[in-house]
Amino acid sequence: MIDNNTLTSQKFEKKVHRLGKATILTGIILSLLVPVLLWIIHGVFPPMKQLLLGIGTVSSFMIPLSIAEILAFYPILGSSGIYMAYTTGNIANLKLPSAAIGMEVANVKPSTKEGEVISTIAMAGSVIVSEIILVVGVILLVPISHKLNNPLLKPAFEQILPALFGALGAYYILKEWKLAIVPLTIGIIFSAFNLQTAISVPICVLCSIIAAKFLYKKGKIKA
Amino acid sequence: MGDYLEIANSKLLYLWGSIIVLFVLFQSILFIRLAWKEGKKLGLTSKKMLKGLRAGMVSAIIPSIPIVLTLIAMAPVLGIPFPWIRLSVIGSGPYELLAAGIGADTMGVDGLGATGYTRYVFANSVWVMTIGAMWSGTIVFFFIKRIKKGYKKIEKRDSKWMSIITNAAFFGVICVFLAQPITTGGLALTTMLSGGILMTICALLVIKAKITWLKEFALAISMIGAMGSAVLFAQII
Repeated sequence: MIDNNTLTSQKFEKKVHRLGKATILTGIILSLLVPVLLWIIHGVFPPMKQLLLGIGTVSSFMIPLSIAEILAFYPILGSSGIYMAYTTGNIANLKLPSAAIGMEVANVKPSTKEGEVISTIAMAGSVIVSEIILVVGVILLVPISHKLNNPLLKPAFEQILPALFGALGAYYILKEWKLAIVPLTIGIIFSAFNLQTAISVPICVLCSIIAAKFLYKKGKIKA
Repeated sequence: MGDYLEIANSKLLYLWGSIIVLFVLFQSILFIRLAWKEGKKLGLTSKKMLKGLRAGMVSAIIPSIPIVLTLIAMAPVLGIPFPWIRLSVIGSGPYELLAAGIGADTMGVDGLGATGYTRYVFANSVWVMTIGAMWSGTIVFFFIKRIKKGYKKIEKRDSKWMSIITNAAFFGVICVFLAQPITTGGLALTTMLSGGILMTICALLVIKAKITWLKEFALAISMIGAMGSAVLFAQII
């Protein structure tokens, strides 16, 4: 009986990986085709040097960040959860809570086989609902969007990045202010010398991780 | 704002967005089917699985609203369909704006939708956002099986450390962008400070006054509130 059970769960595992790999690859290709379509159909392509600089900058933090995040989420999400979560995004604020609530309501424990089945179903349900809500948002937004282009509102949208970073920065500082000291100091020095983001971002990320490691080893921060 | 919005709001991008959303829905349905069959084999009742499905669906409603708010805030600078696509596959609000900003910055343009934000700058933002978001999916595609095998060796302590690295890496990038308004001042600085103050107020309300629902909305409220402050300060400065 036990042997039979492990055999079926191995089959399930295999199917999860096959479906997960096929869909995550499709998702990547579909999203990569967006800039390619802009290029082919509309003939718009950025200057090569700036493009490579931009890609290098974003990758300098997205690669370490993605690896660490996947390692941190894997035990909570499980295989099928990881595939779905990384095809659709919005993990910490949407997918994780949905999976947890689903398991709680159905009264199954996380990291059991039953738990993985229920969390997969719950997460898929949450993906469906959030995609539908976004579509409704788009449909409602289209007719009113020209009103947002009012000249009076122009400064609001031009300042969208400082607005986001002020809120986001305060969130992280309130959560763990000690992590902010090193990267913020370095950031201000770099900015005072007008250093390009392609250089300042990778250095700042690296220093931030080193400082965090030091603080963690000294027991000054908790997860 | 620039001529790029014509391209950013093209029918083609709307069509592509619809295809992507249909694909994501299809993936979810396939996973439900797969898990459902396995659940039956494990002896789970349909009622129990339906309960899980319903709970997952209901729990997604409220956290989806701030995502729509972020989309509305992004629409005048990046058009509607592209942010919609990015928020539907792989993306999340803060990351998308951050990457869009990097795309503009490497082209020497100060801020999204600002003067000089041409269609080429827009294209650069689109490429940078897309490639940056692809890393996590690519790592999952190639290495998840290895991660699964290696995981047994990783202790709990290391999993904590991983979440600290995630925070630290993200913080490193944020700090670069936090520092810019600090050194330049002006409208960017007042907006940033407003965002910070609003977030602090939200956090106090959540912790001290126990208004827990606010937690999910804090970022969207603070960001949009700070954008509102920019309209006010633009009249004064």
